[in-house]
Amino acid sequence: MKGIKALIILASPFIFGWIALFLGAYGVSPIMVLKILLNETLHVFNVGDIPEKAIIVDIRLPRVLLAGIVGACLSGAGVTLQGIFRNPLVDPFILGISAGAAFGCAITIGFLSFLPIQFMAFIFGITAVALAYTVARTQGEVSRLTLILSGVIVSAFFTALVSIVKFLVDPNKLQSIVYWLMGSFSLADWKGVKVSLLGVIFGLIPIFLMRWRLNVMSLGEEEAKALGVNVSRDRLLFIGFSTFAVAIATSLCGIIGWVGLMVPHLVRMLIGPDHKTLVPLSLAGGASFMIAADTISRTITSFDIPVGIITALTGAPFFIYLMKRGGKEAWGK
Amino acid sequence: MVGKRLGVNSMLEVKELYFRHKGEKRDILKGISFSAEKGFITTILGPNGSGKTTLFKCISGIWENYKGEVKVNGISIDKLPYKKRARLFSVVPQDHEPAFPYSVFDVVLMGRASYVGIFSSPGKKDYEKAETALELVGIRHLKDLPYTKISGGERQLVLIARAIAQEAPVMLLDEPTSHLDFKNQINVLKKIKEIASLKGLTVIMTLHDPNLASLFSDKIVVINSGNKIAEGSPKEVLTEKLIKRVYGIDVVKVDINGQNIICPLI
Repeated sequence: MKGIKALIILASPFIFGWIALFLGAYGVSPIMVLKILLNETLHVFNVGDIPEKAIIVDIRLPRVLLAGIVGACLSGAGVTLQGIFRNPLVDPFILGISAGAAFGCAITIGFLSFLPIQFMAFIFGITAVALAYTVARTQGEVSRLTLILSGVIVSAFFTALVSIVKFLVDPNKLQSIVYWLMGSFSLADWKGVKVSLLGVIFGLIPIFLMRWRLNVMSLGEEEAKALGVNVSRDRLLFIGFSTFAVAIATSLCGIIGWVGLMVPHLVRMLIGPDHKTLVPLSLAGGASFMIAADTISRTITSFDIPVGIITALTGAPFFIYLMKRGGKEAWGK
Repeated sequence: MVGKRLGVNSMLEVKELYFRHKGEKRDILKGISFSAEKGFITTILGPNGSGKTTLFKCISGIWENYKGEVKVNGISIDKLPYKKRARLFSVVPQDHEPAFPYSVFDVVLMGRASYVGIFSSPGKKDYEKAETALELVGIRHLKDLPYTKISGGERQLVLIARAIAQEAPVMLLDEPTSHLDFKNQINVLKKIKEIASLKGLTVIMTLHDPNLASLFSDKIVVINSGNKIAEGSPKEVLTEKLIKRVYGIDVVKVDINGQNIICPLI
């Protein structure tokens, strides 16, 4: 039973991706989508130079791929952070990593345009999570509620810094900062997809390889040490890899919250908490969730609604549900 | 007890151990020295607040800012990497609740952490060792249940199985009976004794009940307010005078089938 569920989750990004390719303002039939894809990759069908080809290959496909990879990055970071902080209620957005990374991007766009945007995103993402963790840590213990509160504080702090940047930059740059910050895939192109692969290679793949460690780390510092794990080093590695994935994601499509919280939870409910399966399935689930959310955001109205709005509209009620259901268990030590 | 003698072949050696918390002036441990012999069950006995949990945390390497020396199998532990420590001794913590409801098997498998590389997952051999450990403790039927949904006694056995999967020659247990009812206290301690003699393990545990200590240990180390009061076999150590001194109550020692039982006078 679990095996079937796992297979469905692993297959879901491809199914959602296919649906996302034929839905949209310009109708393309599902069969034609497959034909175009096969033509592009294996050269089996010769579809000729039809307008559908340009729409699928140059516009929709990079957008779907980017949404999928960003979703996997955010969800993979979420499951990692929940594991190492032993806190099922955190994700990159709640811990302030997204806001920190956004600040890094904003100052790069505004003042440091000679630097690659991802560099400062990573530096300030790490700064944010380090701050949230240090503020929350008292006498070697990090309580669940305190960690969330300190994340909220750090997040507010970096959001304010972003506002200062917006206030100071020249109006031409302001527009691009504001549009990008709202969280959207509407500017997706193949270059973005290539950049997002960095997040996969230097963020998700190491997390995937280290995933079993998350089981041991989630027992807490003392027990993990007694079982032979170098907790300080491994925690640093996990934070580094997940922040890198988030920094890449944020640099490409702005702040998109809640995905890293919701997806690992849903997968845990379906499959169980063992990170050996939880991590890969959260990556797949994150990809399909984001593809679905992006497809909704671009098809529900004639405008392209920022996808961050869709994820927040689903994420906030989900968080409340978890809080109520978990009760004492969720907020305890 | 043939062939076993106290004072030879010490597997754990504690020398002049002092400990105080950061920023505090009072020493919690005031120069404790004792040893635990190979293949023996050594119990650290003391009332609540005596410092035995602190002593346990120092010995098991959880708290590192102590003065003095802790040697396991002749090796000083404080400069040893965690991975090497974990192969020298396993630690069974007090009953606790993990953040996520892992299955019993997953918890036992975590005992293999020191054998699994950082970028890999447990292999076939690790799965087999975890299965064997479950078998040995006799809780194979619990394998697929969530660790959070079983009883306190069963959880203690799961943690013992995890320690066995770790394959270290020394096993440290912190109050293995603290949250258990009478039946489970006896069951868990019997299991520890059985496994220790089967595997030739050196066991060091903390307890606060003198009778349980007397029934299940080869050696008792009595701790009170940070000092060692006595060290030796249960018969030598557990006298009426010592109980009066450490616990402050009057007792009478009775001998039942060669077992020393401490009975409080009320």
